[in-house]
Amino acid sequence: MRLASRAAFALALALAAASPALAAGKPATPAPAAPAFTPDLLQVERHVLDNGLVVLTHEDHSVPTITFWQWYRVGSRNERPGITGISHFFEHMMFNGSKDVPPKEYDRILESNGGYSNAFTDRDMTAYYEDIASDRLGVVLRLDSDRMAALSLLPDQLRSEIEVVKEERRLRTDNDIQGMLDEQLYASAFDQAPYHWPVIGWMADLNAITRDDMVEYFRIHYAPDNCILVLVGDFETRAALDSIRAYFGGIPRQPAPPEPIVGEPEQKGERRAEVHYPAQNVSVDMGYKAPGVKSADLATLDVLERILSAGESSRLHQALVYEKQIALGASASFQTHLDPGLFEVYVELKPGRAAADGEAAVYEVLDRLAKEGPSARELEKAKNLIEAGFVRRMKTNNGMGSQIGYYEHVLGDWRAMFDQLAKVRAVTAEDCRRVAKQVFDPTKRTVVSLVPEKEGDAAEVTP
Amino acid sequence: MTSARKARPMFRRLLLAACAAAFAAPAGAATFRLPAHTKTTFENGLTVIVMPARRLPLVEFRLVARAGAVNDPAGREGLAGLTAELLTQGAGRRDARQIAEDIAFVGGALDATASIEQAVVTCEVLGKDFATGLGMFHDVIVQPTFPEAEFKRKQSETLGAIAAQKDDPGTVANNELGPFLMGESPLAHPVIGYARTVGALTRDDAVAFHKRFLVPDRCILAVVGDVDAKAVLAALGKAFSDWKPSGEKPADAYAPLPRDGGRRVLIVSKPEVTQSQIRLACGGVPRNHPDYFAITVANTILGGGFTSRLVNEIRVNQGLTYGISSRWGMYRNAGTFTISTFTRNEKLRKAVDATLGVVKQLVDQGPTEQELAKARRYLTGQYPLGLQAPDALAAQLATVEFYGLPPDFIETYTSRVEGVTMADVKRVLKERFCTDDLKLLVVSNPKTAQESLAGLGPIEVKEME
Repeated sequence: MRLASRAAFALALALAAASPALAAGKPATPAPAAPAFTPDLLQVERHVLDNGLVVLTHEDHSVPTITFWQWYRVGSRNERPGITGISHFFEHMMFNGSKDVPPKEYDRILESNGGYSNAFTDRDMTAYYEDIASDRLGVVLRLDSDRMAALSLLPDQLRSEIEVVKEERRLRTDNDIQGMLDEQLYASAFDQAPYHWPVIGWMADLNAITRDDMVEYFRIHYAPDNCILVLVGDFETRAALDSIRAYFGGIPRQPAPPEPIVGEPEQKGERRAEVHYPAQNVSVDMGYKAPGVKSADLATLDVLERILSAGESSRLHQALVYEKQIALGASASFQTHLDPGLFEVYVELKPGRAAADGEAAVYEVLDRLAKEGPSARELEKAKNLIEAGFVRRMKTNNGMGSQIGYYEHVLGDWRAMFDQLAKVRAVTAEDCRRVAKQVFDPTKRTVVSLVPEKEGDAAEVTP
Repeated sequence: MTSARKARPMFRRLLLAACAAAFAAPAGAATFRLPAHTKTTFENGLTVIVMPARRLPLVEFRLVARAGAVNDPAGREGLAGLTAELLTQGAGRRDARQIAEDIAFVGGALDATASIEQAVVTCEVLGKDFATGLGMFHDVIVQPTFPEAEFKRKQSETLGAIAAQKDDPGTVANNELGPFLMGESPLAHPVIGYARTVGALTRDDAVAFHKRFLVPDRCILAVVGDVDAKAVLAALGKAFSDWKPSGEKPADAYAPLPRDGGRRVLIVSKPEVTQSQIRLACGGVPRNHPDYFAITVANTILGGGFTSRLVNEIRVNQGLTYGISSRWGMYRNAGTFTISTFTRNEKLRKAVDATLGVVKQLVDQGPTEQELAKARRYLTGQYPLGLQAPDALAAQLATVEFYGLPPDFIETYTSRVEGVTMADVKRVLKERFCTDDLKLLVVSNPKTAQESLAGLGPIEVKEME
């Protein structure tokens, strides 16, 4: 029950006006064709209501449905020790009763109107969406404005829902090897920064969060001026905007929430941790300190991720799975975060292979990339993959809404996707070499390896 | 195994990739019109469906073959899966590396996998790369070369993946459920096979499987996206003219499942877990069953969506789980009904009893009128969501063809759902759903599980291999 890849948050990039012509003298590399993704595929209107609420709309009449996203600018980075996991717990409570919508009614009303909802919490954000027939826009506006205006946070619901969240933690972390390694990687790599603790929260904190904590959290973070609405699909923009104003316009703005204090000390040497647990194969999870959204190198980091990890022709797959045949899978992941994060590499070894084999092979790949840079064809391939990936995420109303909301929140402007793709198109082999050398620095690395144990008594989770 | 690993945000509800979205579905008020499409049968027996959908510059090719795990010869479990994986590891003039390189260079995706009844090959490219996409798609289907070295590598990776699956309690439960429920049926074994059977496979087995089952008269090919119907038909006709039919009439590979009475309990031992995986299951119906719509509506009330009886009681009221759902697996000749959930070990018995209680109450008493109306509306509201993307459309069109459903299945889905009456739902709840005959499988600490499940039926404890 791994998470489906439906969450399209990896940086996706669109194309600006023209793609730069390739330099001459690269016979193996066909010239790039006309851009596949152009701004005319995604026309968005942006409005800001008087209370600070940002509203982004994109009309598309192909299917008689709409997607309504609400992106709140709050995630686990806005928490503090003692109440870790509150953002995610809060997300669950957003479906559990508000002033005019008693507990259980949110879902009942939504499904009685043929709608579907889900939500997720991450380090930098909490986002909610509904997919519903186009003639039911009023239904979701009523439900979602009521919970933004006046969430109930009733004691009975809090008591029951925290148990659901703890089961989620047991599912995704306590009984899931990748989840265990992921939690340990961030806990080891970050000392002061809020990325130190897991999004789901420590079990002890989940047991300790109070109703007062939740009420305070709602007041500070769930305000219209801390939210972005995205509406995509089959509607008339003027009429939809009027309705949105009518439902959300009267919710008062709040003082801006305090920015989290992020002052992660510089990492001055490799960090290593182990997780001992019964397992068949060894896995290694590595993370290199990587810059946050303010960096000028985001496009290059994206290109590096594709060169290392996109598909079977990528460098990691070719080296570890195809040539050395020591791993079942090897992948890299870089996501743009508000604060400095990690460039991750994950290797699942074949039975009988040691963590050291996997590590050595990964370092060889990274060192070579930092030393020699990519070939011209490799660079062009990565850029093509990024551009096509952007087109792919436009396949559904939901995907478009997710994309627009992500860029508006993380990069501060939904149109940044177009700039970003222009930057990707402009990345050079030298950029790749320079950034790879800087990021893949062994002294900025954290390595967590799974040490398989014989099956035996379970290590109980902290009560 | 190669997909990039993304950070994992926490979701409010489980995303059940296979079941929820695939049959997701039209709105009541708005009329939904499926884009026009054509169906043709080529001389070699290949069924071809083409649907131009030009909102985005994307093309999806999808081939569905009657070449799934159900066609694995006895003792060669895993062959369909391994054969499918090998299609992209050498075809036509390209070796494995060249295939991966060429499809990535155009930003495309080319995949081949097997499921219980199907081998599916998909290729998605930008419209401008139609020719490149079609060429590679054709080659991996018609001219795979099965290089010996790639066979050995994929076989070894499969054995490693089989080992890895033992570390994931949910996958262990799903893999063990088939044999527990269906015994010797060819539907029972996991698609990936078993270590002993995969280890014994040879390259010749894969070549023979491809030759026998990946033939045009067992296949449906759908193309959806930024294409002109006439041009694409001509291109496909030319490309696939070298594909020879088998001439064999495809025989049905298996019989319907017998439904044995009474409850059995299987505990799959995993001493380290703090959370038990739970499956309750019995035999079901084939995909083209006349009760399809009534069952779908009844199942939505029991364990579909987020306001189902099971979610309401087990998750919302009692806080026993993060996810619970009921699902009908429907195949060509048979099917299964399965409830899936998980809970902390201490609450195992409570969760099982509460789940059985919910099923029994619904079967005995039927739903309320309000629940029935909500389920119908939910299903019809979800349906168009699964008809937006070219790949989703191609999958839907191929499914209609594969199971021999009425040609207007997609267009009439809404009216068929709306036509389900209270009497229909009550009848299928009694006739098709099970209560006392539900078999129980848990993956848990055997010591505590044995104690807590005492009295539910004969208990067998199974060690993991």
